[in-house]
Amino acid sequence: MDVQLKRGLLDVCVLAAIKNEDSYGYKIIKDVKPYFELSESTLYTILKRLETANMLTVCTAEHGGRLRKYYHITKAGLGRIEDFKDEWREVMLMYQFIIKESAEV
Amino acid sequence: MNKSEFIEALRAKLSALPKEDAQERLHFYREMIEDRMEEGLSEGEAVSAVGNLDEISAEIVAEFSRDKTEEMIREEIETENAKEKKARRHMRAGEIFLLVLGAPLWITILIAVFAVVLSLYVSLWAVIISLWAVGCAVALTSLGCIMAGIGFALGGFTVTSVATFGASLIVAGVSVLLFVLSTAATKCAWFLTKIIFVRCKKSSQRKVKHNG
Repeated sequence: MDVQLKRGLLDVCVLAAIKNEDSYGYKIIKDVKPYFELSESTLYTILKRLETANMLTVCTAEHGGRLRKYYHITKAGLGRIEDFKDEWREVMLMYQFIIKESAEV
Repeated sequence: MNKSEFIEALRAKLSALPKEDAQERLHFYREMIEDRMEEGLSEGEAVSAVGNLDEISAEIVAEFSRDKTEEMIREEIETENAKEKKARRHMRAGEIFLLVLGAPLWITILIAVFAVVLSLYVSLWAVIISLWAVGCAVALTSLGCIMAGIGFALGGFTVTSVATFGASLIVAGVSVLLFVLSTAATKCAWFLTKIIFVRCKKSSQRKVKHNG
């Protein structure tokens, strides 16, 4: 898959993973596991990028006698998810067209 | 390999990265291992679940250098864009300045051109109207000649009356020719008007579409 496209998709996936409640690294990896493989280093890069873009905030909280980083989605992050849904309605229509037109007669 | 061994080995591999960045990544991996252990994996299992040390470090270094390169490219593009935008703004400001400065000139020229076109159009219709008027006048003359012919005939001036009737016939012929000519001219002028009107409408629509 095109690298830029995949990166954009993964960004929205991670945002979706923290949308309903704050989450942490390992939980995000576990949540997406049934759908696709996400490596730790990739996740780190995505989280860093989303933080820089102000789409999420990071806070450190104590958990079981150690520190754990929790990721919280921002308004901009929620907006990104909505934008993605709007954009992809169009993409899905294009996909349907491609499938239909490229089908062998 | 236990947790601290893994972290130390990774730290050694990430020596090329800025210290803060490497530290943050190490924390991230430590948390990953600890979360797996909390879920019931042994320390060794948790470490190997996180992945192969060489692969991880290679991936991190590759991602890091790619991000850096992209950042540099992005910055370059941004400065280019800013420069271009600045130049464009200057140009637009210059154009507006010239337009405003030249306003007395181009507005007068525009009005003059419009007036010339309008006067040409009005004179076209004036010619047509006068053609019709001449046609009517000639037709009336022919009618007058017939009346005079009748008068001469009643008065007994036979020769004069015949001559007058003949004249009336000639004049009537001329008037018919004139009517044919003026009808054709009117049709032409009307056709021209329609063309101009349609053109104006189309261009104004295009302008609206362009603006919208």
